[in-house]
Amino acid sequence: MATPILICDDSNFARKQMARALPKNWEVEITFAENGEVGLEAIRAGKGEVVFLDLTMPVLDGYGVLEAIKANDLPAMVIVVSGDIQPEAQERVKKLGAMDFIKKPTDNEKITQVLTQFGILES
Amino acid sequence: MSALHAIELTLDEEQRDCYQEITNVAMGQAADLLARLLNVYVILPIPNVNLLEVTELQMALSELENSQSVSAVCQGFIGAGISGEALLIFNDASFEDIARLMDFEGEVDDSSEVELLTDVASILNGACLNGIAQQLDVNFSLGHPVVLGQHCSISELVKAENKQWKKALAIEINYHIKDYDIDCDLLLLFTEDSLLSLNHRISFLL
Repeated sequence: MATPILICDDSNFARKQMARALPKNWEVEITFAENGEVGLEAIRAGKGEVVFLDLTMPVLDGYGVLEAIKANDLPAMVIVVSGDIQPEAQERVKKLGAMDFIKKPTDNEKITQVLTQFGILES
Repeated sequence: MSALHAIELTLDEEQRDCYQEITNVAMGQAADLLARLLNVYVILPIPNVNLLEVTELQMALSELENSQSVSAVCQGFIGAGISGEALLIFNDASFEDIARLMDFEGEVDDSSEVELLTDVASILNGACLNGIAQQLDVNFSLGHPVVLGQHCSISELVKAENKQWKKALAIEINYHIKDYDIDCDLLLLFTEDSLLSLNHRISFLL
C-alpha cells in the first residue's frame, strides 16, 4: 500500500525539490501543503504518515505544527527539512518530537539515508 | 548592450519563489555561522524578493528602518555574468550589544564601530552570497567592504549608493538576534544585466 506523505513548505519550488528528492522505488501518495495550518488538516485527515516539514512558514510555522502534533497525539512521523540550521533550531524541533532534521537544500541520497535509518524504507 | 536592453526584464511568480527559497537557504547558513560564533539565536524571517526600479529603492530602504540613525557597509560581488552589491544596514542602537557579544574591550567609538561593522558584514555577506552562489553553481568574487556612512539617515545612504542602474533584483533579509538589541538588514542588489544570467541559472533548478 502506498504510504501517505505530506510535504509542508510555503515555497512551491521547495515542495517540488522535496518531491523530486524522494526515493524512486518508494510507493507514496503525496499531499502538498503551503503552510502549517493546511498541513495539520492533512495530517488529521490521515494524509501525513510521514511529514517533511519546513520551519519558516506564514500562518502557522513548523514549530506550531510540531506542538499541535504533540498536544493532540497525532499519528505523524515528522522529518524537519529547513534552511534555519542553527543549533537552537535543531534542538528545539527534536524536543518537540521531530524524528530528524535535514538541512536544505536536500537531495535523494540524504532523504534515502534518513528513511532507511528509521526503518521507514527497507534497505 | 542594445540587444540586451531590448528584452523586457521580468520576474514571474515561479522565479520569485525560487529566488526566495535559495535566499532562505543561504541566509540560514549565514545565520548559523553567526549563531555559532556569537553563541546566539538569529531570528530568520521570510526574505523579500522584488524587481525594483531604482527610484523605488529609496522607498524600499526607508521601509526598512523608521528614520532611525543607521550605519552601513557595502560590498561588491561579481562572477559568471552576475554582479551586484550587498548592502548591510545596521541600526546604530545595535552596536553596544554587538561589541559585547564580540568581546570587544574598551570604548566603542566611531573607528571601533567601523571595525565591528566590517567584521559582521564579512561574515553575513560572505556566507549569504556563498550560499546563493553554491546553489546556482557559480562562484562570486567579493570586494572589500566599504563603509557607506555612519550615523546617517537612509536617504543620505541612497545618495551615496546612487548607481547607474535602472532596475535591480533586490533581496531583503532582516536579521534580528534573539534577546539582544541587534537588528540589521542585508540588501542584495543584483544589476539588471545580471538578471538574464540569474534566470538562466535557476532554469536548471525549476
